Amino acid sequence: MAEETVTPQKPAKPDKPAKPAAPPDPRTEAALSFGRGIKESVDEIFGAGTVVDVTNSKAVPVLLIEAEKWRDVVTYLKEEKDLAYDYMELFAGTDYKDYIEVAIYVYSTTHFRYISLKTRTPRDNARLPSITPVYAGANWEEREVYDLLGIEFEGHPDLRRIMMWDEWKGHPLRKDFSEFDNLPERGGEAKS
Amino acid sequence: MTSTLHKEEMILNLGPQHPSTHGVFRLVVTLDGEQIVDADPVIGYLHRGTEKLAEGLQYTQIIPYTDRMDYLAAMLNNYALVHAVEYALDLEIPDRAEYLRMIVMELNRVASHMVFIGTYLLDLGAMSPFLYAFIERENIVELFNEICGARLTYNYMRIGGVKWDATPDWIDKVRRLVPMLREKVKMIDNLVSGNEIFLNRVRGIGKFTKEEALNYSLSGVNLRSTGFRFDLRKVRPYGIYDRFDFDVIVGENGDALDRYTCRLREIEQSLRIVEQAASQIPEGPVMGKVPKMIRVPAGEYYASIEGARGELGAYIVSDGKDKPYRLKFHRPSFVNLQILRKLLIGQNVANLIAILGAVDIVLGEVDG
Repeated sequence: MAEETVTPQKPAKPDKPAKPAAPPDPRTEAALSFGRGIKESVDEIFGAGTVVDVTNSKAVPVLLIEAEKWRDVVTYLKEEKDLAYDYMELFAGTDYKDYIEVAIYVYSTTHFRYISLKTRTPRDNARLPSITPVYAGANWEEREVYDLLGIEFEGHPDLRRIMMWDEWKGHPLRKDFSEFDNLPERGGEAKS
Repeated sequence: MTSTLHKEEMILNLGPQHPSTHGVFRLVVTLDGEQIVDADPVIGYLHRGTEKLAEGLQYTQIIPYTDRMDYLAAMLNNYALVHAVEYALDLEIPDRAEYLRMIVMELNRVASHMVFIGTYLLDLGAMSPFLYAFIERENIVELFNEICGARLTYNYMRIGGVKWDATPDWIDKVRRLVPMLREKVKMIDNLVSGNEIFLNRVRGIGKFTKEEALNYSLSGVNLRSTGFRFDLRKVRPYGIYDRFDFDVIVGENGDALDRYTCRLREIEQSLRIVEQAASQIPEGPVMGKVPKMIRVPAGEYYASIEGARGELGAYIVSDGKDKPYRLKFHRPSFVNLQILRKLLIGQNVANLIAILGAVDIVLGEVDG
């Protein structure tokens, strides 16, 4: 008769009581509702679906804007008297695997408010309208994003590489960039 | 007669190697006689790929890289990254760590402004103030050497506090240094600020208005010299700045003289903060309760501080791992340098260095 190994039965664990969901942070809620208010007014003027999504980054509302209306919405938010976002504080590009995203943080010096605006573009043939006509401080930032991430900004007065030299090929900050791709340009041997 | 005068524009290259460009900075200037027609800054000679490297490093491992960005004010750079991570994690920092951070950050701001005064006057042709400023700065750098082992790239801040505690002896040295620095800065002020040659060279040069400054996203003294009272230590207080009593220095005209004067007066305000912090510093641990593996929850966060040259911020995009998915630094020297072209067009070439110097850039920060 085959021996049966008896595995000791562990006592059944009692079900943990479900943790009560944390109460929503009032600042996050305020940020989201303020963002939704702006989404309504922007969608009214520029057409439904211009503001694709409203999220938050801590207490700052984040609006995701459609790529084609990027410059128009940014201009509107700068010139509208109740919003008056006239000071751009951050311009960042990020390569997510399916799309490249550009985020800006703008501050209103009259209403002391902060908001973040984002837009996305596909990785192949990445292009976005330039916001240099709106914020002159975006000039070099867009050149840096063009250089390191490969987004072409339409309407930029002087789109050239800024960190890498002009003959460099490739965009270093992309996730699929390999430092062994440009060896002939750098004076080394081509990958055989 | 003037219609047959044959004129040609000359392209002058202020090459990457130049004693007055504060680093490896190239400026291609198109001249019509003595007047600047166009100026094209070329940067990227010191680009080291910090942001790309950061994607493969844990947050604590990135701190030495931040030292090398603005190497004249490395404590502030360390704090920019550490503050962004702590803001994302909502960490509590022990009081003694906050006070130590305050002291070293403000002393570093003083040291950075002293380098500005010394090098700006050296650019304009005055050799002595450079040595006077550096000999006073030496006291600060020696103090930093004592507390963290390095004179320029400190690697002192950690997420949750600071790495090394300060002895009571060190705090005493800080307390004794403040009145001495105050006196020396007054001496430099007396020697330089009323000098007729200096005033004629910088007064009215490189002017811009508050609206232009906001449009070009200038920050720090460049913005405050136009008269716009915007200091991140007062507008969005971080750390324990709300416990200290100091003024925000604003200029009037937005010219190079105002920028020089603002930085000189800011040294006094920073010394006030150091004095208050050194007298109020409590005992306690210098590192808070931080998990061994620091993971920032998924999402994006942006936190900025008032660096020595402007708004220094870190934008973290995280996917929940212990390494950032994307780390972007808002580098004030990079953004402030954009206005250079606009300021130079139409000026005489003799004013070029005076305008460039007043923007106060550090190439490590421009290129990142």
